[in-house]
Amino acid sequence: MTAVPLWVRRPAGERVGWLRTVDHKAIGVLYIGMGVAFFAIGGLEALLLRAQLATPEASLVDPEVFNQAFTVHGVTMILLAVVPLLVGFANYLVPLMIGAPDVAFPRLNALSFWLSLVGGIVLYFSFLAGGAPNTGWFSYAPLSERAFAPGTGVDYYILGLAVNGAGTIIGAINLAVTILLMRCPGMAISRVPLFVWMTLVTSVLILGAYPALTAALVMLFVDRQLGGHFFDPAGGGQAILWQHLFWFFGHPEVYIMVLPAMGMISEVIPVFSRKPIFGYAFVAGSSVAIAFLSFGVWAHHMFAVGLGETENAIFSATSMLIAIPTGVKIFNWIATMIGGRLRMTTAMLFAVGFIAMFVIGGLSGVSLAVVPIDLAVTDSYYVVAHLHYVLFGGTMFGIFAGAYYWFPKMTGRLLSETLGRWHFWATFAGFNLTFLPQHWLGAVGMPRRVFTYAASTGWGPLNLISTIGAAILLVAMFIFFVNLVRSLRSGAIAGDDPWDAFTLEWSTTSPPPPENFASIPAVKSRRPLWDRKHPEARDTG
Amino acid sequence: MRPPAEAIGTLSLIVGVIALLIFIGVEGALVYAVWRYRASRHVAGEAATFEQNRRLEIAWTAAPALILAVVFVLTLGAMAEINGAGVAPAMRITATGHQWWWEFSYSGVKTANELHIPIDTPVELEVTSVDVIHSFWVPELGPKMDLLPGKTNRLRLFVHRAGSYDGQCAEFCGVEHAWMRIRVVAETQTEFDHWLSGQGLPTPAQGNAGERVFLSNICVSCHTIRGTAAVGTAGPDLTHVGARAMIGAGALANDTARMRAWLADPQRYKPGSLMPRVPLSDADLDALAAYLVSLK
Repeated sequence: MTAVPLWVRRPAGERVGWLRTVDHKAIGVLYIGMGVAFFAIGGLEALLLRAQLATPEASLVDPEVFNQAFTVHGVTMILLAVVPLLVGFANYLVPLMIGAPDVAFPRLNALSFWLSLVGGIVLYFSFLAGGAPNTGWFSYAPLSERAFAPGTGVDYYILGLAVNGAGTIIGAINLAVTILLMRCPGMAISRVPLFVWMTLVTSVLILGAYPALTAALVMLFVDRQLGGHFFDPAGGGQAILWQHLFWFFGHPEVYIMVLPAMGMISEVIPVFSRKPIFGYAFVAGSSVAIAFLSFGVWAHHMFAVGLGETENAIFSATSMLIAIPTGVKIFNWIATMIGGRLRMTTAMLFAVGFIAMFVIGGLSGVSLAVVPIDLAVTDSYYVVAHLHYVLFGGTMFGIFAGAYYWFPKMTGRLLSETLGRWHFWATFAGFNLTFLPQHWLGAVGMPRRVFTYAASTGWGPLNLISTIGAAILLVAMFIFFVNLVRSLRSGAIAGDDPWDAFTLEWSTTSPPPPENFASIPAVKSRRPLWDRKHPEARDTG
Repeated sequence: MRPPAEAIGTLSLIVGVIALLIFIGVEGALVYAVWRYRASRHVAGEAATFEQNRRLEIAWTAAPALILAVVFVLTLGAMAEINGAGVAPAMRITATGHQWWWEFSYSGVKTANELHIPIDTPVELEVTSVDVIHSFWVPELGPKMDLLPGKTNRLRLFVHRAGSYDGQCAEFCGVEHAWMRIRVVAETQTEFDHWLSGQGLPTPAQGNAGERVFLSNICVSCHTIRGTAAVGTAGPDLTHVGARAMIGAGALANDTARMRAWLADPQRYKPGSLMPRVPLSDADLDALAAYLVSLK
């Protein structure tokens, strides 16, 4: 297969600003910048929540502000921070990894980014327009109907998410087409780096999941603005319908956020173990299994809704099944490390941290598939702990691993390993201090989304510990920020291939030239760069 | 018959032990790999080059599947058990969710926020909502169940030990979600019967100042006191409000001083609550608080 430049970017030598760029690398950096900015905002919102909950019956913020803050924190972290960060890395790396000069549709790529960003801005504009949405990121009807949420917050939520989602859908089409059609000669689909595999699977998930959200948003808009009754029982509608549509999007969304991070550590672990990934086919194949299953588990968010014993049993079974392909990946990563020569760089520390934390999130996830246990702890802090072990301990640790690993490629400079180590250990300590106690809080009865709790409950001390953990996380993120800024200006020069890596992105300059490669590469195995450096021990794959 | 909380407790213990063993095994293997194969140990030789082992990979796919099959069978058993295991309920109580309080109805005898049940009796709670989605959750009693507008769900309650159990709404339901607390009082059949017959009685007209304040203000448009002209239904039934432990669905303990403070400014203790601040003179507040607390 030959790579055909489908779009001529610009006359040679002309400089294009950030606003007009259609270069996948520049757009990738824009996405990552958007993700970092919203991650900071969402983090500050979380700190406000933790400050209010540090002591019982506190009145640091009033309930209305608290409810807006946890709503916007959820939407921000999921749709405006994590997804753009992952899409940003994919945008930057996929063409480089498959030996292509750009994505398939560069102008469409720019459109996706700007739609995603505008969606976020629309959501935040609600603060200026009379109040942010206050019905939770899941925005359950009928609480989100006009009768119970008369302000404009939910309308901005609808518009913001719909626009942001359109950008994400368009971006997914672009990445999928790029991966399917623009691989360089010799880059069979069974040879693409696992990060590319995960991006492909994620793109398919986005195409299946996001339209359900868009449809639900349109229906809610009709209810709120045009007098519809889709979700209004008083008018013959069904409150549960919203939940079905939302979680049909919402559960695949979890894998949309996890799979690319799994792809990242699937690149990092082999390189720093000095070994090829163990069981490439199982890692890739298990992702496809996860993708299929992820569309059949949504109602495990709804066990307490009263769907019926049969329905609950079916969704319990599918939710347990999805643990199997997930477990396979963990075994494969550990097996990759066995027998290796492990260089414990910051990137590798975060990758190992991902595995260690994700195991906890995965096990608590299986416990939530057990219907009677779920009925006891759903909608409690147990679930808050679980989802943060998956999305922070998992995804964010993976993103940090990826950041330390690919920052040199993107900027030409290395991040400081000294600050990196501080960043890792502060994150590790702060994260566990924040979220480990929340398992217990949920098990003994603290519900989610409460702005305070009675002193008589005895939940004060663990909440205080959790808040102290959040403060440590703030310090950890500050260290990372300092590392980013300092390394950008005066980090050690990286060179093309600072990690002695395996894949094509390291065969070009750091940062790569606009056309990525001086000439389109040709590959013969999964580790083209290893082959070039070790002609005596070429891969046979 | 076991209380649902015990069935869940046993299952949680089994699943917890399995999870702990897997946790120790996997984290142990991870730590071992990092310690044993770290480059800084200066082990001679190159890294190994193996990159697959089909038999091993099939084994570690199949093993979790087997464990999960066992967990699933246990799950089905516990699900049947917490739903009553074929034992018919001895009594039914209706719970209706309101923003931000609970209405409990015993065949038409209404009370609020404090649910009395007899011990060792299978009780079926029929739950629904008049506004948004709420969820009934008393952790020590086991599972929770959502209260949906336009639908009735059923939750089995079964308690061995007499005592009071605290819980609260578990589905985010708006601004005062945090102060939508529940108190379940489990008591012997005799105590329960005594309580229920008392709840069924109307309040005799007292003709005192507090009653006059209540009946001549907007209180009556939302609240009922059976035996008087007050028949509002938007707020909790107050016929026996003095007998309840808490005010405002858990916002304050119930005594004359706190009742007076609550009546003077409900928004101070439960901002966003649908109970407005009614401008009353100090004397009227004193009389009204004394009257309501006297409604045992």
